[in-house]
Amino acid sequence: MKRLVTSVWRWIDTRLKLSDILRATLTEYMVPANLNFWHTLGFVLVTCFVIQVVTGMLLLMYYVPDTSRAFESVQYLSNEVPYGWLVRNIHAMTSHLFVLALFLHIASTVWMRAYRNPRELQWLSGMILLGLVLAAGLSGYLLPWSQLSYWATTVATNAAGSIPVVGDDLVLWIRGTPKVTQFTLGRFFAAHVSIIPFSILVLIGIHLLFLRLTGISVPGGEERGPVRRVPFFPHMVVKEIGSVFGFLILLNVLIFYFPQINFPADALIPANPLETPAHIKPHWYFLANYQFLKLVPSEFLGVILQVVGGIILFFLPFLDTGKRRSPLYNRLFYAVVGLSILGYIGLMVWGYYS
Amino acid sequence: MPAQSTRPLDDERSDVSAAATQAGRRSFLEWLLATLLVVTGATFVRPVLSYLSPRKSGKGAHVLLGTDGRSIPYARLATEPTLVGMGVDGEPTIVVRYAGETRAFSAVCTHLGCLVKWEAAKAEFICPCHNGHFDANGVNVAGPPPKPLKRFKVYATDRGEIGLEEVSA
Repeated sequence: MKRLVTSVWRWIDTRLKLSDILRATLTEYMVPANLNFWHTLGFVLVTCFVIQVVTGMLLLMYYVPDTSRAFESVQYLSNEVPYGWLVRNIHAMTSHLFVLALFLHIASTVWMRAYRNPRELQWLSGMILLGLVLAAGLSGYLLPWSQLSYWATTVATNAAGSIPVVGDDLVLWIRGTPKVTQFTLGRFFAAHVSIIPFSILVLIGIHLLFLRLTGISVPGGEERGPVRRVPFFPHMVVKEIGSVFGFLILLNVLIFYFPQINFPADALIPANPLETPAHIKPHWYFLANYQFLKLVPSEFLGVILQVVGGIILFFLPFLDTGKRRSPLYNRLFYAVVGLSILGYIGLMVWGYYS
Repeated sequence: MPAQSTRPLDDERSDVSAAATQAGRRSFLEWLLATLLVVTGATFVRPVLSYLSPRKSGKGAHVLLGTDGRSIPYARLATEPTLVGMGVDGEPTIVVRYAGETRAFSAVCTHLGCLVKWEAAKAEFICPCHNGHFDANGVNVAGPPPKPLKRFKVYATDRGEIGLEEVSA
């Protein structure tokens, strides 16, 4: 058997030169020796994407994107199909961890200031990926057509209406109709199962290509002198697999011990466009934005301030330039970043309990 | 004595001229291909935008419909002081009896689109999402809503349904 496998591999390898590619990308690819946990989050994110694609394909076999049958089809999937509950839970829970890992990846990149020259394009592709992952979460939220999904989508899409001049038209284009209807479900379904995943796949490819072309950033900065380097395989791969298994343990704990996170009472009632449930709230990763909108007296101002914050984050590599800065500048930078992160978490917690 | 180049100067000039002509042809070809691609792409813009454009229904007089799509009889207002249904353009609409008058408003809160509820004791419409308050005339009086509720004229149709007509602002 071993001889058969070896000869098949040789047959393929002589034609495609796969061993050369593997050598160049694994054992001959040198990375800084002092890479840590924060550098493994990219691999965790790729794992999340793969899990979402596989479980999403399985869910598609039973889900019906029709307002009169969507809720019923999801209930059937969860309660009648063998292990349907598990597939659905993995998909729903991984979406949370996907966003969590992405937030940590971005926060660590900002903290290490790894977005600076020459990695600006890598940062920009990462920011677009963030937008796509959040859009995947938002579009997927509507699909079960429950009270929770219907009203959370109504509130979230309405927020776009506060953007001056184009706001109302934007809401109409997102929904496809003035209210959340079958047309909205059709759009969100198409976006969730094809447009967004395909775009994420392409952007992950671009992001990784940029990573290979510019090299992994060195913890502490390249300017501190020569860096000891080690082969990507096995050194970095072992660390990445360790992080992935840590993530899988967390995923299992959440699925088996805290399944109710995904299914509050309003998620178990079919959508009723004529009755808004009390205390409707968005996903945890939109809670800070939601609470901010509640605190700012003008909805227009609340949306504009958030748009400005997003633009600053997007163009951060072009605002924080240069290799060396004065100690005062550095202290100020870390104070602003630290307070922003704490403020974001604070608003999220406040939004949850308010 | 080393051999001198016997190539005449005119030949070299003609080579340069041929290369320039070839470069000119190539850039023309590149320009032509780019134009062709842009024009081909542009022909798809209008169909794609039209395909994705939102659906709008016509305005005008409509009747209040229940979730089953059937019209709600006007006579029900005699026994039920508050009714919620789908009105003009499918807009969730709330009809209330107040101070001997029948009033109809869009039930959609002008803040973030949740549906308001009628609190008869306070004579107010209240949004459950962010605690927005509107008075009995639909005017925003407290909380985050930025503008009043849209109002409709209510009447009984010839078929005994609850007729609704948009009141121009």
